Amino acid sequence: MNKDVKYKIVLIEPSEIVATGIAELINRNPEFKVVQTLSNPTYYNANNNDIDIIIINPAVIDYNERLDIRSYFGNKAIVALTHGIYEENVIRQYDDCIGIYDNAARIIQKLKNALEENMQTPKSDINELSTRERDILTAVAKGKTNKEIADEFNISVYTVISHRRNISQKLGINSIPGLTVYAIMNKLVDMSDFE
Amino acid sequence: MNNNELLYTKRMKVAELLSSDMSLLSILQRLDIRLGFGEATVSELCSRYGISDELFLMICNIYSFSDYMPHINALSSNDIRSITTYLRASHRFYTGVCFPTIHEAIHRLVEELDEVSRKLIDKFYDDYDSEIIKHFRYEEEVVFPYIEELLEAADPAEREYSIRQFEENHSNINEKLNDLKNIITKYLDESYSSPLRFELLQNIYNVESDLKKHSLIENKLLIPLVEKLEKGHE
Repeated sequence: MNKDVKYKIVLIEPSEIVATGIAELINRNPEFKVVQTLSNPTYYNANNNDIDIIIINPAVIDYNERLDIRSYFGNKAIVALTHGIYEENVIRQYDDCIGIYDNAARIIQKLKNALEENMQTPKSDINELSTRERDILTAVAKGKTNKEIADEFNISVYTVISHRRNISQKLGINSIPGLTVYAIMNKLVDMSDFE
Repeated sequence: MNNNELLYTKRMKVAELLSSDMSLLSILQRLDIRLGFGEATVSELCSRYGISDELFLMICNIYSFSDYMPHINALSSNDIRSITTYLRASHRFYTGVCFPTIHEAIHRLVEELDEVSRKLIDKFYDDYDSEIIKHFRYEEEVVFPYIEELLEAADPAEREYSIRQFEENHSNINEKLNDLKNIITKYLDESYSSPLRFELLQNIYNVESDLKKHSLIENKLLIPLVEKLEKGHE
């Protein structure tokens, strides 16, 4: 195997035509390699720790079984490969989503993005806030700016923004007053902080 | 939601429109159209009330079909006046009917809450309320008069405003409403009055979806028409 390959991929796609095409496009890029193509997730070997990315067509997952892709595939970047239209919360479980009309450059870009996403946010419990997110939410509710929060936690402003985006997505609350209400109700901050 | 895929036409009966999409009821309500119109078609009812049937249909189609794009070339500058009249009526409908209902339900709900939550929700809603009133006032005091002036076409040379600025200022007024919805649905303690909460949420969902249509009328009808008018003056 080529030694320059950094990221190994398992591709799970029932259509041989599509699977061959995607694998061909990805393998042209020296950084990525599709090492295995499967038609069905049950053939996947869970002990395979050598794999970095799973690309899977959501259609092969039996929704009646409610397969939890995170526990099934372990801590790997998981990318959806879609031919059709899916509900947003189906797609949200994935680190990114490749569409059938994406060109090679776009596919590679999405794979890179998925690796980054997967490192940033452990998604084991999708809607619970992480400890770090609770801390940042508390700071937001207290009226601190992104810059102040970044300094306090020793992280970049960009990371603060990305945390805030995740918090809002999880809670379904976008405005600062709304977040403040949530924080007080959940006793993350005290009403007296505002009086 | 409506269950047929064909756009509405002037020859359809108004009662048919309503049975395919009940959200159109709120359009009739704000246009002060009285119920009991029997088998009247869209054209007949519109002419009875002195409303352009072309415009009425476009508004109904915007409400019911998310992909619908109106052919604005079919409208005249007279219709622009009717749109601003309609939008003003909409504002009155929101501030006179929808928001007072929500406000009243919130008042009843917070009576049961602990003091902290009561203050919070009250303040949150009041802030939202004044924000939206400010938004409506801006449209009525700046945007609509500008459009009316443009229609008079006195001397457009010294115009400082343009409808582009309106587009840019068109902030997302639904964000806080959506937050409130989620707070009441997900995060307010389970013990607080459920029937009242359901009723309140139903009202919020209704006004939220109506406000979205309201924005669509501005974005799909008003703004393109005024842009055309501005170009004509240049």
